Amino acid sequence: MSRRLRWWAGILIPFGVLAVARWVLPLPFLVEVLIFSVYTMACNFLLGRVGFISFGQPAYLAAGAYGTAFYLYYFGRDPLLGILAGLASGLLFSAVVGLVFVRLRSDYFALVNLALAVIVYHLMQKVLAPITKGDNGLWFLDRMTSTPVLDLTRPDGFVWFAWLVAVAVWALYKALDDTVFGACCLATKTNEDKVKFLGYHDFKIRWTAFVLANTTAALAGSLYGVYFGFVSPEMASAARAADPVVVTILGGTGTLYGPLVGALAYVGMKDLVSGVVGNWEFFVGLLLVVIMLAGERGIWGTLEPWLRRRWAWRRPAPALQE
Amino acid sequence: MSAEILRTVDLTKRFGSFVAVDHVNFSLREGEVAGIVGPNGAGKTTFFNLVTGYHPPDEGRVVYLGQDVTHAPPQHRVGLGLVRTFQLASTFDALSVLDNLVLARFSRLHSGANVRVLLTAPRRRYYDDPRVQEVLERFQLVSQRDRLVRHLSLGEKRRLEIAMAILSEPRVLMLDEPLAGLSEAEIHQVMDVLRSQVGQRSMVVVEHKVSHLLGFVERLVVLHEGRVIAEGRPEECLQDPEVRRSYWRVGAESA
Ligand SMILES: Nc1ncnc2c1ncn2[C@@H]1O[C@H](COP(=O)(O)OP(=O)(O)OP(=O)(O)O)[C@@H](O)[C@H]1O
Ligand SMILES: [Mg+2]
Repeated sequence: MSRRLRWWAGILIPFGVLAVARWVLPLPFLVEVLIFSVYTMACNFLLGRVGFISFGQPAYLAAGAYGTAFYLYYFGRDPLLGILAGLASGLLFSAVVGLVFVRLRSDYFALVNLALAVIVYHLMQKVLAPITKGDNGLWFLDRMTSTPVLDLTRPDGFVWFAWLVAVAVWALYKALDDTVFGACCLATKTNEDKVKFLGYHDFKIRWTAFVLANTTAALAGSLYGVYFGFVSPEMASAARAADPVVVTILGGTGTLYGPLVGALAYVGMKDLVSGVVGNWEFFVGLLLVVIMLAGERGIWGTLEPWLRRRWAWRRPAPALQE
Repeated sequence: MSAEILRTVDLTKRFGSFVAVDHVNFSLREGEVAGIVGPNGAGKTTFFNLVTGYHPPDEGRVVYLGQDVTHAPPQHRVGLGLVRTFQLASTFDALSVLDNLVLARFSRLHSGANVRVLLTAPRRRYYDDPRVQEVLERFQLVSQRDRLVRHLSLGEKRRLEIAMAILSEPRVLMLDEPLAGLSEAEIHQVMDVLRSQVGQRSMVVVEHKVSHLLGFVERLVVLHEGRVIAEGRPEECLQDPEVRRSYWRVGAESA
């Protein structure tokens, strides 16, 4: 019992702090951090646990966002069902794409994903313009009906929903680390041959990991869709393709809290720095260079050992280390 | 005489025009312990790679347990109990010693496990597995159990890999230079464990130092330039003039 409690404390303490910050921080900032951390979690898992570096995450983000948008624009009005539709379309999309992509390794994988993002952008902007309305995008803010308990159509309801989703995603990935599958993922990352020669089906392991991560990315896309009540091809823009990778590294690749810390830092810099000087991306780049030179451990990867010594934190389980 | 468990028929592998393994006919009986020796580049590792499914052969067949497995994927062969180790100790750097062992044990318990089983099985359930504890002790890895493998010495990694292979409880265990890079004490330790396995499984051991194999293997196969140049009881093999000529180290070390 106490182990389970400690396990949950590891998630609920940081997210609890974030929940309290709801009364301090601007709502849009918090929502963006939450959604972006979910988006980054997918990338963090791929990069830190499976060894896949993808510069095409916007493709999966868009797969979820458009699933949601199509449903809410053409078929229904319930934003919860809209999010389910986004999840389903993300799942389907990554399941099919994964059959081909997970056969590729590292550098090719990164580039092919980038190409995919470009293709998805083009599809949404031009080829499917009759149904996506091209660059104008799909607007469905007014079409959505209020949901009971947490009203997703209102920002102060949505922020709690996003918070719950983020907690669930964290719990999922943390639980995954504790399974044999989690160990298999890390194993394939460093030594695929040995995985095979222990009798495991390495392809199925990679495919499952890929589908799981990119469905998570699609979930982030769905959340964006419902939050803004609007989806346009910009979602798949290759110009933003490196973002989740950058934020993953900022936070600390392969750490549990890295994506959250990274998203905080990234969105924080975007909102704060851009208020003072124009070019906030320059500062993100600068920070990234510093992190790479300082040993690639990221913000959380650097903070964690320090905090641990300070408060003599005990880990709930011998978590998988990157 | 016990039944044949593994046989290769005219097994051949070429890399470009270079013939690494040249029409090798090899057979292994249930419970037998065989050694493969030969100079650098003789094709010992390539032969292992063909038998275990790392490379497809250009010619010939691999018959295991009466089945033609020449083109079967490695996982299929592992599932049938054909397990190998690698010349460069092959373990999972990013995992702890214990997790490495758990992966080996889990694969044995749920052979060819589907992903659903993997997803629902907690790793820690296998931490106290008696077999896992046993190999930890026998390979003197207890004090290292929670360390990441990337921080282990070469000798420790090699012991870990052999421990994993033994956890797989194979019918045929193929070891590619299991003693390379080990200290004298470690060699004794590993050889003790290997001796204790005799009778439980068949083994094929590639080893540079023939002296380590004497008294352990029943049969020796000498490879040279991809071909079998001698085969038989170890002492007899090493007296063979062709072996002495082509593989001076064999002669030198056995003297
Ligand atoms: N993948 C490959 N591509 C090209 N040539 C290869 C490949 N693998 C092995 N060879 C060549 O085949 C020959 C046999 O190599 P192999 O590794 O089987 O020898 P070995 O008997 O295991 O030697 P060692 O004692 O050094 O381990 C060598 O000349 C090697 O260079
Ligand atoms: Mg070799």
